[in-house]
Amino acid sequence: MDLLLLGVSHHTAPVDLRERVDFSMRGLSEALRALSECPSPAESVVLTTCNRAEIYVACTDTDTSQRDLARFMSRFHEVPEHELEPHLYTHTGGDVARHLFRVAAGLDSLVVGEPQIFGQVKDAYAVASSEQRTGALLNKLFSWSFAVGKRVRADTGLGEGAVSVSYAAISLARKIFGSLKDLTVLVVGAGEMAELTATHLQSQQVRRIAVTSRTRSRADALARRVDGTAVDWTAIDDELLEADIVVTATGAATPTIGASAIGRVMRARRNRPLFIIDIGLPRDVEPAAGELEQVFLYNIDDLRAIISENLARRQEQTALAEAMISTEVDAFLVWLRSRGTIPTVVALRRRFESVRQSELKRLEAKMNGLPPEARARVEEITRLLVQKLLLTPTERLKTASDDATAAQYAEVITEVFSLEDSPADPPVSAPAAGKRSPSRSTSKSTVAS
Amino acid sequence: MNILPLLLYIAAGVAYAIYFARRSPQAGRLATASLAAAALIHTFVVGMRTVEVGQLPFVPLPATISAFVWLLAVAYLYTEVTTDERAMGVFIVPLMVVLQSVSTVSDRVLEPAAVLDSPMFAVHVSSLLFACAAFALACVIGITYVLLFRELKSKQLGFFAERLPSLKVLDTMNGRAVGIGWLFLTAGLVVGAVWLLQLQPNTAADPRVAAMSVFDPKIYVALLSWLVYSFAIYARRAIGWNGKRAAWLSAIGFSIILLNLGPVGYFLTESHNF
Repeated sequence: MDLLLLGVSHHTAPVDLRERVDFSMRGLSEALRALSECPSPAESVVLTTCNRAEIYVACTDTDTSQRDLARFMSRFHEVPEHELEPHLYTHTGGDVARHLFRVAAGLDSLVVGEPQIFGQVKDAYAVASSEQRTGALLNKLFSWSFAVGKRVRADTGLGEGAVSVSYAAISLARKIFGSLKDLTVLVVGAGEMAELTATHLQSQQVRRIAVTSRTRSRADALARRVDGTAVDWTAIDDELLEADIVVTATGAATPTIGASAIGRVMRARRNRPLFIIDIGLPRDVEPAAGELEQVFLYNIDDLRAIISENLARRQEQTALAEAMISTEVDAFLVWLRSRGTIPTVVALRRRFESVRQSELKRLEAKMNGLPPEARARVEEITRLLVQKLLLTPTERLKTASDDATAAQYAEVITEVFSLEDSPADPPVSAPAAGKRSPSRSTSKSTVAS
Repeated sequence: MNILPLLLYIAAGVAYAIYFARRSPQAGRLATASLAAAALIHTFVVGMRTVEVGQLPFVPLPATISAFVWLLAVAYLYTEVTTDERAMGVFIVPLMVVLQSVSTVSDRVLEPAAVLDSPMFAVHVSSLLFACAAFALACVIGITYVLLFRELKSKQLGFFAERLPSLKVLDTMNGRAVGIGWLFLTAGLVVGAVWLLQLQPNTAADPRVAAMSVFDPKIYVALLSWLVYSFAIYARRAIGWNGKRAAWLSAIGFSIILLNLGPVGYFLTESHNF
């Protein structure tokens, strides 16, 4: 069983194509159910975000599955294959693990380190798991990716620093005020940017949002949307006395709020800090207001500069994150390789067990005179002996450094112990033996359990 | 034995610096553990000396400084545990190291003079030392406030913005530390004055007692610090001198306190050189 990934993302496809192959339109469950009609993949997970649509599968023949998946994606989204194919990418084996680990850590995202992707990967896995489309291989791969995603974020600065204007404004507000819960916000202007920032502030559960605009109806509409209170344009000075955070985005040609007005307000509010987010273009607040002691005035360029710095800082952390991911991919590959040697390990155990059983059978006549306790002791000793003899070869086989070495070990062991001549299903006394079958997949799951 | 707390204070200082620079949680835990160990052993040292001399080891001045460091460590650890904020350790522990080094150089405790054999003396010194510890914390919190304030005003967010709590938290902590310090400073000064008035005539013959007046440098510097902190509290409440101005006032106040603990206490005072 091998791993295969097929998908499109912002790296390979333009937005209009990404929109057409978005699995969330019809739901992940429906996609998984449709995918289950494809014969080749044994396990599958579908991941979809606004920047990517990916299918992770475990299959026996990656070439066939790759063709099947490409055809499935084309049919499911009704996008002609010739149109989709140039934008598809595929990975197999360890490269699938590397890709998923990078995705979960936010390294493959449009905005490096963005946190939403981690939750989206978790959701994708949860849906596939509830649809019973995952097995031992994808379960392990995805749980590993969650651990990697968490570790990368915890041990590097990859997810730190705001990278959008609204979040930058909120993180600044937190640096000034700490918790935003008891704060009053005044929104001056009712445009899109003002609404976006006000919505983000509302999600921080601020105490009150007052909205004012030259056009009262627009202020009323925005106030309703952000669960705030509309106030008259003429009441700005009174509201400035109360507000802790002021968001301005009026689009007016000249500054709406003068520095001297803010100076008067600051005296009246006894120097209580005032954070002004001026995202209007042209600016709404006279820049000189920023020189007042407890006034923190940030315009759109200031916020963008913070974002660029944060992005640059995140970029610096990517080398560290990539190194961590490489180590994890190596560890995952060791685990993956150990699965490839499982048939040999199973055959070896069966071989030893059959020798043990036949020897016990041969000695049965001599042991007849022994009391039941002594016979049980002999049984236990021989079983422990076999386990101990097999411990080192099994470990070596499972932890072989590469595929070639693992194959070499398996070949030597098969040859030396004549494993190919072993009985297919010998009578064994292990508790799980009754559930075993000669099929490869069942053997794996028995050992894995 | 007195060297052991110093070594642990140094270890804690290094760990706090590593924690601040790298924000490594392990370094943070190690820093707190080292400081807690230092405070614990320091408590043991102070306890032993109390048993040795029969009262709290406040004389001579190096012993006073050592007791101050111990109180500062306890006060800081309390602040750290209650606020879950370790960022200030890198600023405050070096102060403990410097003061404890000064105290360790002259490592001895004297039998207190007969004139000091009074519970009021213990209350007077303990209150003032606790006030000093609170003012030291206020000063350090004020410095961190100014560092973060400058980053926010210059819009060059970076080193301190990533590591320090919000301006409001720092300002609130500064205000509380100054308030608590002022209460103990006032209590310490009042108890000192009452104790002086109650001294018996025979002990009043001591030249140091005779020198106790507002013209003695140690006393007028202490009164000056009281005026500065009283103004800081009034200004914060009445005229909105919070934030940066309050931070500067607490830095000025603590500089005056350090003056009293250091050069004035060592060389200039004629009344407090026991």
